[in-house]
Amino acid sequence: MEKFNLRVFRYDPTRDEEPTYKIYTLPVEKGMTILAALFKVKEEQDPSLSFRYNCRAAICGSCAVRINGHAKLACKEQVTKLLEQFETDTLTVEPAGNIKVLKDLIFDMDWVIEKMKKVKPWFIPKEPPPADGTEYRQSPEEHARIDYASDCILCASCMSDCNALSVNEEFLGPLVLSKAYRFAADSRDGAKRERLEAVLDKFNLEWCVRCWECTTRCPKEVQPYENIIRLRIMAAEEGYKTPGEIHAEVFEKDILNRGLLNEMLLPFKQEGLVGGLKRAPFGIRMFFKGKVNIADFFGGHTIPRIEEVQTIYEKVEEKKKDINIRIPQILGLVYEDKRKSKKKESSQNGGEQ
Amino acid sequence: MAELKYAFYTGCSAKGVAPELYDSTMLVAEKLGMELIELEAATCCGAGAVQEKDEFLALTINARNLALAEELGLDMLTICNTCTVMLRESKFKLDNDPELRKAVNEVLKEAGLEYKGTIEVTHFLWEVIDGVGLDRLREMVVRPLKEFKIASFYGCHIIRPPYLIGYEDPDNPKSMEMVIEACGGTPVEHEARLACCGFHSFWSAEDEVTLRLTAKDTEAAKEQQADFMVTPCPLCHTQLDAMQPEAEERIGVNIGMPVLHLPQMIGLALGIEPKKLGLHKHIIPTTDIIKKLAA
Repeated sequence: MEKFNLRVFRYDPTRDEEPTYKIYTLPVEKGMTILAALFKVKEEQDPSLSFRYNCRAAICGSCAVRINGHAKLACKEQVTKLLEQFETDTLTVEPAGNIKVLKDLIFDMDWVIEKMKKVKPWFIPKEPPPADGTEYRQSPEEHARIDYASDCILCASCMSDCNALSVNEEFLGPLVLSKAYRFAADSRDGAKRERLEAVLDKFNLEWCVRCWECTTRCPKEVQPYENIIRLRIMAAEEGYKTPGEIHAEVFEKDILNRGLLNEMLLPFKQEGLVGGLKRAPFGIRMFFKGKVNIADFFGGHTIPRIEEVQTIYEKVEEKKKDINIRIPQILGLVYEDKRKSKKKESSQNGGEQ
Repeated sequence: MAELKYAFYTGCSAKGVAPELYDSTMLVAEKLGMELIELEAATCCGAGAVQEKDEFLALTINARNLALAEELGLDMLTICNTCTVMLRESKFKLDNDPELRKAVNEVLKEAGLEYKGTIEVTHFLWEVIDGVGLDRLREMVVRPLKEFKIASFYGCHIIRPPYLIGYEDPDNPKSMEMVIEACGGTPVEHEARLACCGFHSFWSAEDEVTLRLTAKDTEAAKEQQADFMVTPCPLCHTQLDAMQPEAEERIGVNIGMPVLHLPQMIGLALGIEPKKLGLHKHIIPTTDIIKKLAA
């Protein structure tokens, strides 16, 4: 391919009623990034195009845009690779999603900063610094809990593609919750409960739908989704009774007592008798479609070998205080499915097994 | 051809509110020559709920589930996206952290089990493509779905996160469209193809998030005039089908978009009767689909 189309979102709220898309045709150059392509448009075809950038090396987080629907850093993405990935000759560049557009590809970062203030994204020391005049200390293990979370460059890629934010702007969002985790999990920090209370206001922390989009989009291995889960674990450990905590207890007990979740009794266990009864219209609808197993209202089926599960619960309880689950490195990692590679090898050797 | 034999992990939904998924999976697997040995002693995967309260417990429970498949010496086949990602997450942690694996195995030993890491966790969708093969599926289609516009709905946990799933490009996956085409149907492009159904925040943000997503997703398929949506995940199915009336009521819209489980769609193309596939068990009526098929 010698040329490709850059289809760019254009909008100037001071002049335009509606956003439009303009198509710029550019030569395909080896190593050209989307940011370089935007510069080429600005220099050679349309000086009115506005976009944000600074370091050009995926460090500053200024140039997050959406490319063919997904948030990416413009400076980190190569045109040739994208054309191949999407099997196309046209790449669509839009501003990050879920955030108000100021002009063209520039979005309102102040909105993100205002949200962030709610979790006090700064260090609040637990105690005065060491008397000998040295700095606050933490062990390598303590630092490992916040190592990846500290790498956030505030690019807002995660906010752009967050499913919960796409339907409710009141959600704090992955960037903010991940930032709250970074400080709440810091061994030197003294405001853990204060931060947890900020994210648990209206159970905001539990508005996250577990879609894992934020971790998939993050260009810096911050693992926002995993940090949200770690925050929820911290909240459970601190004794907060949230809907998520009650939900987890229902699952824990059902696994222990029968193996599988009892979906018929879940609404009652989750919301109490009155709450569960409010779901009656839904339940009746499900019943008439043959989706309700009446036996489950009386306990229902228990899996074979349940005693193994009961032993595991006992032993886990004894052991878990000594367990430190380390946070894995995930950047650029594609989980190797040995079954598939086995299959590939065999097909290279003639296909028969 | 390699033997298509799997340790079958049903998950809770196929044994609970989605019996039609269990039935259609068994029927279609048999037709496609897949042998499913059900792991009757398997527990729930924790569904992300246990994982956010007690990570070590969730991990150990899933190590047991994986060990059950290892006893059979077979790869584990799932029919639920969330089961897939939770089991693969446990496997990822166990395979990449020897100390953790040792601790988990010390617990499992007390129950007479051991996690060895010898099997893989796969999904029905992937095995239809890689195991059965699309050419073979195409040959077996007796009732091509040629008059249907079909909107795929992947569901998050079969594409994200790539470090746990890694089956295909999460930005531009194709597997669902490939199967739709093999069944003779026409895939429709729609905005919610890779979106989230909202299921996992139901109990904490039903009005704030969940039902809004459910309405948005089903409306996106409707906008493109899809005859139905199809999903490889029973949780997406419950959310998009069973909860669609709630979404319509709360958001104040009228949608009426039928949603099929992946094996149901394949089953129709293989000529299996709609009733045997449980199409009458859906909340959003599938009568128009059945009528079109009979015409």
